[in-house]
Amino acid sequence: MAANPLHHFELHPIVHLSVAGVDLSLNKGIFIMWAGLAVTFGLFLLVGKSGLRLVPTKGQSIAEISLLFLRGLVDDFIGKEERKFFPFVAALFFFILSCNIIGLIPGSYTFTSQLVVTGTFALFIFLMTLVIGFGRHGLRFFGILLPAGIPKILIPMMIPIEIISMLARPFSLAVRLFANMTAGHTILAVLFGMAVSLPWYIGVMPFGFTIAINGLELMVAFIQAYIFTTLTCFYIGDVIKMH
Amino acid sequence: MNKGNDFRQGLGMAMRVGVEMMVATLMGALMGFALDEYLDTRPWLLLVGVLLGGAAGCLTVYRTVTSIPPAEADDEHNREDKKDI
Repeated sequence: MAANPLHHFELHPIVHLSVAGVDLSLNKGIFIMWAGLAVTFGLFLLVGKSGLRLVPTKGQSIAEISLLFLRGLVDDFIGKEERKFFPFVAALFFFILSCNIIGLIPGSYTFTSQLVVTGTFALFIFLMTLVIGFGRHGLRFFGILLPAGIPKILIPMMIPIEIISMLARPFSLAVRLFANMTAGHTILAVLFGMAVSLPWYIGVMPFGFTIAINGLELMVAFIQAYIFTTLTCFYIGDVIKMH
Repeated sequence: MNKGNDFRQGLGMAMRVGVEMMVATLMGALMGFALDEYLDTRPWLLLVGVLLGGAAGCLTVYRTVTSIPPAEADDEHNREDKKDI
């Protein structure tokens, strides 16, 4: 364990499964993803089934506060008349948040520390914004590459810049979540490795740090889920309002 | 509530801009490199791509930092109103 701090990011098949020549083996990450889904759905199902009260219970007030906060995000960035994106945004936020937090439990796996996972989220969101943009504005959507009020002489330079900044969006979304989760868990692994391999009277120091870093990671889990959702709202709002 | 809101937005922004800049530069370099391979003009389009990517990163960061969310703008407005009275 102390030898390689990146060891715990490796995934090995637990259940070997192959459908029509395609490798669909299940590994730890997939089970953790299912756990994240179950937690997300289970909590809200529990709150919904227990009946809504005028004086809210603990679960109901947590659900209400977080959903109102997310609705505020949608209202701010996409617009009050576009509330149909709210379920998507809320599901995305709670799924990423629950995966991030489940990953902090020792022995489990941080599903969001795989670039392929965050990349798939980001690519899906990017394609969705393109579909929304072309659906709403038709060919006028290409106007998003031309910011309003720039001098004519700058146009040949601005278009490639805008194309690059447009294409960089899904990458920055994916890399940010992936890098933050991976970095935090690598630091935890290094500190735990030190705590285990050093004599106990020195090892207590890195061990104490792991507790502090775990608290920090809990904050990062919330903030990264929040940023991912905010940027999703921002990108959707951007293609609807066209700057 | 306002203080927590400011803190969260500031932290969110700080976490956003760094990656934004890096990814845009890499994206420009990657596109330049791909075009170079395709058109056989190595290394010129790579250099142009890095410069344009850096510019795109700066532009994105500039836009992120200057854009004021509507809620905050309202607060600013209210505060100014109170000052007038």
